[in-house]
Amino acid sequence: MLRFLVRRLLQLIPTLGGLSILLFVWLQRLPGGPEYALLPDDATAEQRAQLRRSLGLDQPITVQYLAFLRRILQGDLGTSLNTGRPVTEEFFTRFPATFELAVTAMLIAVTVGVPLGYLAARKRGSVLDFAAVGGSLLGICTPVFFLAFLLKVVFAERLGLFPSAFRLSPGMSRTDLSGFVVLDGLRTGEFDVVRDALLHLALPGLALASIPLAVIVRMTRASVLEVVGEDYVRTANAKGLHPGTVRTRHVMRNAMLPVVTAIGLLTGSLFAGAVLTESVFAFPGVGSFVYAATQGRDYPVLTGFILLIATMYVLINLLVDISYSLLDPRVRAQ
Amino acid sequence: MLTKSSRKPLALLASAAALTMVATACAESTREDGGTDESEPFVFAAAGDIKTLDPFLTSDGETFRYSRQVFETLLEHESGGTEITGGLAEEWEQSEDGTEWTFHLRDGVVFHDGDELDAAAVCANFDRWYNLSGGYQSSNNSYYWQSIFGGFAENESEDIPEPRFVSCEARDDLTAVITIDEYSSIFPGGFSLAAFGIMSPSTLEAIADQEITGEEGNYTLPEYSQTAGTVAGTGPFTVQEWDHDQAEVTLKRFDDYWGDPAGFETMILRAIPDETARRQALEAGDIHGYDLVAPADVDPLLEAGFQVPTRDVFNILYMAYQQEAHEALADVQVREALAHAVDRQRIVDTILPEGGEVATQFHPDTLDGWSPDVRTFEYDPGLAEEMLAEAGQEDLTLEFCYPTDVTRPYMPAPRDIFDVIAADLEAVGVTVEPVTYEWTEYIPRTNSGECPLYLLGWTGDYNDAYNFIGTWFSGYNSEFGFRDEDLFEAMEEASTNPDQEERVAAYERLNEQIMEILPGLPISSSPPSIAFAANVNPPNVSPLTQEQFAEASWK
Repeated sequence: MLRFLVRRLLQLIPTLGGLSILLFVWLQRLPGGPEYALLPDDATAEQRAQLRRSLGLDQPITVQYLAFLRRILQGDLGTSLNTGRPVTEEFFTRFPATFELAVTAMLIAVTVGVPLGYLAARKRGSVLDFAAVGGSLLGICTPVFFLAFLLKVVFAERLGLFPSAFRLSPGMSRTDLSGFVVLDGLRTGEFDVVRDALLHLALPGLALASIPLAVIVRMTRASVLEVVGEDYVRTANAKGLHPGTVRTRHVMRNAMLPVVTAIGLLTGSLFAGAVLTESVFAFPGVGSFVYAATQGRDYPVLTGFILLIATMYVLINLLVDISYSLLDPRVRAQ
Repeated sequence: MLTKSSRKPLALLASAAALTMVATACAESTREDGGTDESEPFVFAAAGDIKTLDPFLTSDGETFRYSRQVFETLLEHESGGTEITGGLAEEWEQSEDGTEWTFHLRDGVVFHDGDELDAAAVCANFDRWYNLSGGYQSSNNSYYWQSIFGGFAENESEDIPEPRFVSCEARDDLTAVITIDEYSSIFPGGFSLAAFGIMSPSTLEAIADQEITGEEGNYTLPEYSQTAGTVAGTGPFTVQEWDHDQAEVTLKRFDDYWGDPAGFETMILRAIPDETARRQALEAGDIHGYDLVAPADVDPLLEAGFQVPTRDVFNILYMAYQQEAHEALADVQVREALAHAVDRQRIVDTILPEGGEVATQFHPDTLDGWSPDVRTFEYDPGLAEEMLAEAGQEDLTLEFCYPTDVTRPYMPAPRDIFDVIAADLEAVGVTVEPVTYEWTEYIPRTNSGECPLYLLGWTGDYNDAYNFIGTWFSGYNSEFGFRDEDLFEAMEEASTNPDQEERVAAYERLNEQIMEILPGLPISSSPPSIAFAANVNPPNVSPLTQEQFAEASWK
């Protein structure tokens, strides 16, 4: 297991190295530059050129990349051109918001998706099955921003059930221990903050959950249908095992293997979905900051954030592989 | 009939619905008591978070919206207007040659930290700005200083302009004299820019050692500019907190303010970058006001009972002719023909919000220097067609650029405006090839002169015609691609003439000259709107988007 872990962690180096080069080339080829986003429209060509020089953007790309690499090796991801604050600080200021949103979305997706997929498989051909399959197809096809917009119009504007924007109500005072609003609220006993945060998480969480939920329903259904037809399930039933035991130990445990892999991949992709969802709900997380950085050509933020997100993506998949090996001893044996 | 297993999901759904109802009840109880309570915070949504607590360090409009509530400048613009009026200085005068500006300060003004305002405090601010070094000298961190006052006592780069600022002298307790090396028409307007908000002596002392750290391209702004608690101004609000996590700035009423106290006890500025999301937040009751209302949203908001005051126009939208990008545009007859081809009134009537008007020259009529005698170009497609034929351009094909992902106060719906103009040009036989760019790409493309025809505009910073026409026509400009030394010299002469009357007359002549050259077609001036909830007494809205929220209150 240790060798497996070390090997996977070492794979991070070429992955991130290659990604950083691609990012640098891509950013360099983007038209426009931060001097157009940072200075007013009437700034002169000299002022823009001066800013490019002072930002070091007039240097050849290789020089810029090597300087970036040197800083990375020193643990410094640079400073945001837009805010003048360190990129790492910006990321970890916003990460808790996105993490809470992603966890909410994944909780909704898993707690609803797995049972629904299982039931759809067990009641194959029923109305429930038809609804689950049809609904999940709709979930996959519906663009996240459209669903987010729809949820806002219905549940925030028309019905007034949930807030339409932000992570907390304006002016809500709280004790900030870690940046994780819900956790901090639970630890300090500020339950009004917890309730407020959950209300703010509901609609963006639901919007962000739509695609993972649909995928999980379909994968669980397909996987359960496949597993229930296996010989070992028939044997377990024939042995007279309790149906609950067959369901949990033989069917679900095996059916969950591809679903867990999918959950890992989907968790990573939630960061991509968060860019749109957070923008629609003015949710101050990593996604909305990346969106703003793209608009403002904030190269250090784009490079730093994407590298950090990629690292997390790889680590999440590592965790998935570990959980996979726990579910299926054959993986460990390999 | 429902089976046992099919009842389970229904039970789950019922539980979820019950939870939602509970949550809803909680949410509604919060919302019911919001709005009119005196202690209720007023929440205003801006398009972005502020960048720094010290407005000197930025050129960002959202930061200036915050700083105008907290800091005051020597001169201000009248509430809801564009005329320069007293700020921290009650009266002011300029020397005959326009290089010496004497400011008589208000008596009894105190800073948020208890310091008293005097001439020495004013000069301490100017001296600090003039003597800044290191990262402060990057144009990104001192843009307006360099634009208005030039460089520093010791410029650390050849890129930085020579200083225009000479000195600030505290002649007595309440008289500060600022000397500049040569008159420019950017004064006295330049003294009113939000970047030059006056900070308390104690603040200056506390931040004296704080530098912009890091090497080139990797500057980190100083701590005082990022954390509430250090900076103190004299404005009607104090900074209570800047929550970076929530992109939220909380301001508190300053009880010792020298003027009328702020109507709100607490004001919160929050960032909602998306235009639609801002409108929805207002409709959902999550905020009490927002800026940059889309023209299409004005009527629905009014019908729903919201207030949408419209600012007076202080901007201009134009269609530029880049004469080097297409040889046909170097011919003034072609430029005139295209001007006659465009039905600008239709753009104003169908696309712009109410109050928009057709522009006859390159700045709005609210500015001194606007001339009633400029050459105008009436909509006359027949004449346009004739002129094109005379110029030998019956089969003219032109690329026409417009931005896709943006609305500006002067250009509320770029695509719609493009559609109208393109249809008009096609109607007189011009083949239009649309070229679209995102805003961040659009500006460099148009700045570098790649687009033969394109839409762009400008919202003024202060009340001087030079802030508009000088921006474009004071020298060769690749945005328009023409050289006219007579025009450039006349512009320079006008802008350095300290005599107000003569200067205004010169601007009028310049406007007439520009419309003869016709470097572009001024299209319209558009009044930007700002929205408020029904229970708010809004502040006077400012053509310069410089609202003083202290004037607002709950109904």
